[in-house]
Order: sequence, then structure tokens, then C-alpha cells
Amino acid sequence: MGQFRIVRGAVAFAALLVCAPLAAQEKTGIKPGFALRPGTARIVLMRPTILVGAQSIGGVNEPNADWTRQARENIALALRQAQANVGNAMVEYDEGASGEGPLATEYAQLFGALADSVIEYQFFAGNRLPTKKRNDSFEWSIGADLGKLRSLAAADYALFITTRDDYGSAGRKVLQMVAAMGGVGLKSGDHTGYAGLVDLRTGELVWLNADRQMGGDVRTAEGASKRVSQLLEGFPGKSSAAVNGAP
Amino acid sequence: MRRLFPIVMTALTMAVTMAGPTIAADPTLSLPTYTPAYEPRTVDERGLWMEADEEERLLRDSPLRIREGKLEQYVRDVLCREVGAERCQSVRVYVMEVPEFNASMLPNGCMRVLTGLLLRARSEAELASVLGHEFGHFELRHGLTGFKAERRTKDRTAWLAILGAMSRTDITDTRISLLASFYRFTRDQEAAADQMGLRYMATSGYPARTAAEVWRQAMAEQDASEIGHGRTPRHSYVSGYFDTHPTNLNRAMALEAAAARMPGGGEARADEYRAAIAPYLPRLLAAQIKTYDVGATDFILASLAAQSGWTGELLFARAELYRARGNPRDLQMASIWFRDARAAGYAAPELDRDLGLTLLRNGQADEARKALNAYLAARPDASDATMIQTLVATEQ
Repeated sequence: MGQFRIVRGAVAFAALLVCAPLAAQEKTGIKPGFALRPGTARIVLMRPTILVGAQSIGGVNEPNADWTRQARENIALALRQAQANVGNAMVEYDEGASGEGPLATEYAQLFGALADSVIEYQFFAGNRLPTKKRNDSFEWSIGADLGKLRSLAAADYALFITTRDDYGSAGRKVLQMVAAMGGVGLKSGDHTGYAGLVDLRTGELVWLNADRQMGGDVRTAEGASKRVSQLLEGFPGKSSAAVNGAP
Repeated sequence: MRRLFPIVMTALTMAVTMAGPTIAADPTLSLPTYTPAYEPRTVDERGLWMEADEEERLLRDSPLRIREGKLEQYVRDVLCREVGAERCQSVRVYVMEVPEFNASMLPNGCMRVLTGLLLRARSEAELASVLGHEFGHFELRHGLTGFKAERRTKDRTAWLAILGAMSRTDITDTRISLLASFYRFTRDQEAAADQMGLRYMATSGYPARTAAEVWRQAMAEQDASEIGHGRTPRHSYVSGYFDTHPTNLNRAMALEAAAARMPGGGEARADEYRAAIAPYLPRLLAAQIKTYDVGATDFILASLAAQSGWTGELLFARAELYRARGNPRDLQMASIWFRDARAAGYAAPELDRDLGLTLLRNGQADEARKALNAYLAARPDASDATMIQTLVATEQ
């Protein structure tokens, strides 16, 4: 146990010094041929996972309750405003009296694992699994059973959204500057997010947008609106004017 | 010794009178100030609680949680009996099916109890000693102070690393001593939670000496596990440089010393505990067997049998354990214990299936077929019925 900790400490130490390489990476995947005509589908927005915090000097995540609450409100508002751009009816998930909350939570977790797999094995072209080699394929599924949830009966698609923000603290930024003077690259702040659309009839993931370098300060209304337009970038069936029109 | 005598006398007097206020006046038994419906105040604490609230949602919705019956209610009742109805209002208990001897507490009062703990505890008092420890972490706000200590350590380490690299100074020693002081800090927190848990036990009437027994028992199980793996058991009093917890031996001795200065306490409530856990015992045993730790599992079974005798359930579990290891001698013992379990009243048809499979692997085809057919007759619609039918047919 003690040995293991030393090794882990050393790895964390190395990670601290080396800035994550920004490899060329795809950010959006869509099932070939998939399109969503405006006004044809009912989309349910699953409970978004939104966490906002600060990053201490040494990189420790400091969760912040106020920022997270602000971000949740701002993003919810921005999503409602973005509805017009999406072109289809979007309602927030409500388990009602179905008692399916635990299952919905499991699916949210499963979606996280699915999105991570897509990022790892599809978006990094050099890292593709043999079954994902072809450029024109996007074959990922969360399982058809999601569509069998009674609380999703009236819907055609489920939209999952996750954002995670750590804002570099003042101390972290000072450390970053000093490190830069010494020629060491150090990252300050961490902003990742992804959004995915699942076809409830088949369980297929028809669209995923994932970015580990998101912009827009979710603590403000304008920033959240920018973030949401980034999250929904390349959303199938969204008019191109809407993409450009976003701040 | 001269100082100890009056304390022992006071303790004896209190044990006789058992008057609440008198106990609270004893400095060794003083509890932290209690704030009903505490709300976090600082940025750090509010952030940690928010994060804990999210984590608690996952626990609440987890498929590993044992929702059936009133197990969680019972565990919480034991906690409430220990820390008092008022204090325990701030706690939610989630029992998770994980065959590991542990429990943990989030800063917001969410308590996670693993079934491995429930399987090993032999009385309410033993369970309470662990619950009280976790509750101690909560009341002493260890989540917050621990977080701050971690941040402080990593912030300093980060500066050291950058400045050391720029000035070409070897900072390894300083970095290691910083880390070591952090781990010493977490060990101190554990020791403080141990002592706090002991106070809850003593004030509630659960015998405080039980806490040390839990760790003695854990050490004995560790020994059995090591021997089962062909290794030499060893316990040290001093913990390692980077250990998060004091060693079990250290904890046991510290708890024994502290409990000796406390009132003797009342009932450990072993019978009540056994009765409450009984409906879940087969499930807890099945999870433990899947750890494939023969030494530790055999130790746990023997410890349960010491209380209740070798019941059909325990014999069945032991047979399953040996069947899983599957040496010829294990298969022989397993088939004997399966039959003993049946004789002791273990009625589930799955016993016939597992006995049949054991006999089959041991080359006793005729007897195996008989047992497998008995299973198929009792469970014609079982999910593995087709497979078992195939086995019966091939062996003819």
C-alpha cells in the first residue's frame, strides 16, 4: 500500500509539470445519414450533470456551491432559449410517479461511460478500435431498454448534457506565470463538456459533441449561453444560421 | 495508578446509577456541541456539501443498495440508539452490497455501510463501534479539515516543485516530509474519530470495550487470510509513512486503553443483532464467497458458527466456498457439507444443482445426475435449466 502511494504521488507530480498535449482530435460524431427535421420529434433533456469549482494552486478541485447553482440556472435558461434553434420540442425529464429515478440515474452514468468510450476510441483517430476504423461509421448504443422507461414513453430522443468546470484560482495563475518564466507549461483551469442525443426507439447514440476545452463562463448568463451553443454545435437538424447566430 | 483510581471509582459509581447528566459531566465522555439541522457556512464547506449531495444521489439510486426489507432502517436505529435520537436526525444510512469490512461518511451526513461490515459484526455493539467512528468524522467536520489539509499539502508541493525545478534544487526530501505530515494528519483524524466513537458508545450504554474487539477480530481474520494465501501473518504497531489509518493493532490498543477508563456499559445486544441480520445472511454470505478468499471466509464462517452453531445456511456457504476453489479434496468436502446442509434443514433446490455439479466434477456421475434431476424437477423454469439438462444428457 505504501509503495503504491509513492508511485501514485510521483505520477501526480509528473502530471503537474507536464501540460496535457492538445492532440488533434475530433469533437463531433454523428450517425451517417441521420437528420432531424424540425418539428418532427420530442426530445427529453435528462437531468444535466453540472459541477463548477475552482482549481487550487496544487490542482486540487475546490467544489463551489454558489457557482454550481448559478451555472445550473444559467444553463437551464440558455437551453430553453436554444430550443428555437434546435427546432424541436424539448422538455425536461420528469420521472413523475413512475419510480424510475434510480434507472434514469443508472442510464445517466452509463451515458457518461459511453461518451468517454466514444471520445477515447472514435474521436482520437489514432486510437480507434478495429471495429471503429472506418471514417464513415458511428455505431454506438446505450441499449434499447432506455426507451422502455415509462417516464420516457412520449419521447423520441433523450438529450444528455454534462459539464465540468474548474476555474484556476488566483494562486494557480500566479504559479502558472512563475512556471512559465522557468519554461514549464502548466495548465490553469479545466473546462470539459459533452452533449449527446440517443434515439429512444433503438438506443443508438445518433450524435455526440464532446470538448475538453470548452469556452463560456457558465457562472454568467451570457457565458452559459455561449457554452450551450458550443455544446449543441453540430446538433443534427439545427439550421446553420442558428450556429452562427449564437454569441 | 494513583490518578486512575478515582476515575475508576467514578466510573463504577456511574455504572451503578446510570444517570445521564452525571456521565456527560465526565470530561472523558464529553461530546461535541450539537447543532440541529446544521447548514454549512464557508465557501469550502458549502462546496463539499454540494458535492456530497450529488454523490448521495448516486448512492440513493445505486443498484448495489439493499432496499429490501428494513435493513437500512435497522442500521440507522442502532446508530440512533448510540448517538441519541436528536443527533442522528442529520444522518441517512445507505447499505451497499459490497463484501468488504468498511463504512464511510460524506461531509453532509450521508453514511454508507458495506454489507461486509454487517456480515462480520457479531452484535449491535460491534456495529455501533464502527458507526460511531464514522459519525465522529461527521460531527468533528473531518471532511472539511481533511480537504483543507490535502489542499495545503498539494499547494505547497506545487510551489516546491516549480521553484525547485527553476533553481535546480533537489526538493525530494522536503516533498516527502510534506506528504508524510499529511498522512500523519489523516491518521490523527482516524484516531480522534475512534475516541469519539468510543464516547458515543459509553454514553449510550453499549459496552465500550467492544470497539477494540472489532479490531482484534479484524486482525485475526487478516491472519487467516494471509495463511490461506500461503503467506506469513504480521502485525505492526507503528504505521507506515504513507498510511491513511493507524494500524489495526495500534487502534485496538488505543481503544482498549481508553475503554478501560470508561463505564463498563450494558448489553452488546448480540441476539437482537443476529435476528435482524438473519433474513439477509444468505445474500451477505453469497457476496463474501465471491471474494475467493478462502482463509478469511472460512474464518468468518467459523466465527458465525461459534455463535449460532453450524446451521444449514453456514454449511451451504462453506460448501460453496470450497466448491469454488475446486481441488479434488475441496470437492469431496463440499459434497459432504452440501448433504450436511440439507440434513440441517437447508431447503433451497439450488443446493441440489450445486451438489450435482460438484459430484460431476468429482467423477460421481450417477449421484450427480440424481441431484441435478432433483433440481430440474423443483425448478423446471430456471434460467439455467437448459444447460443443466444438457449436462444430465451428456453424462448418460
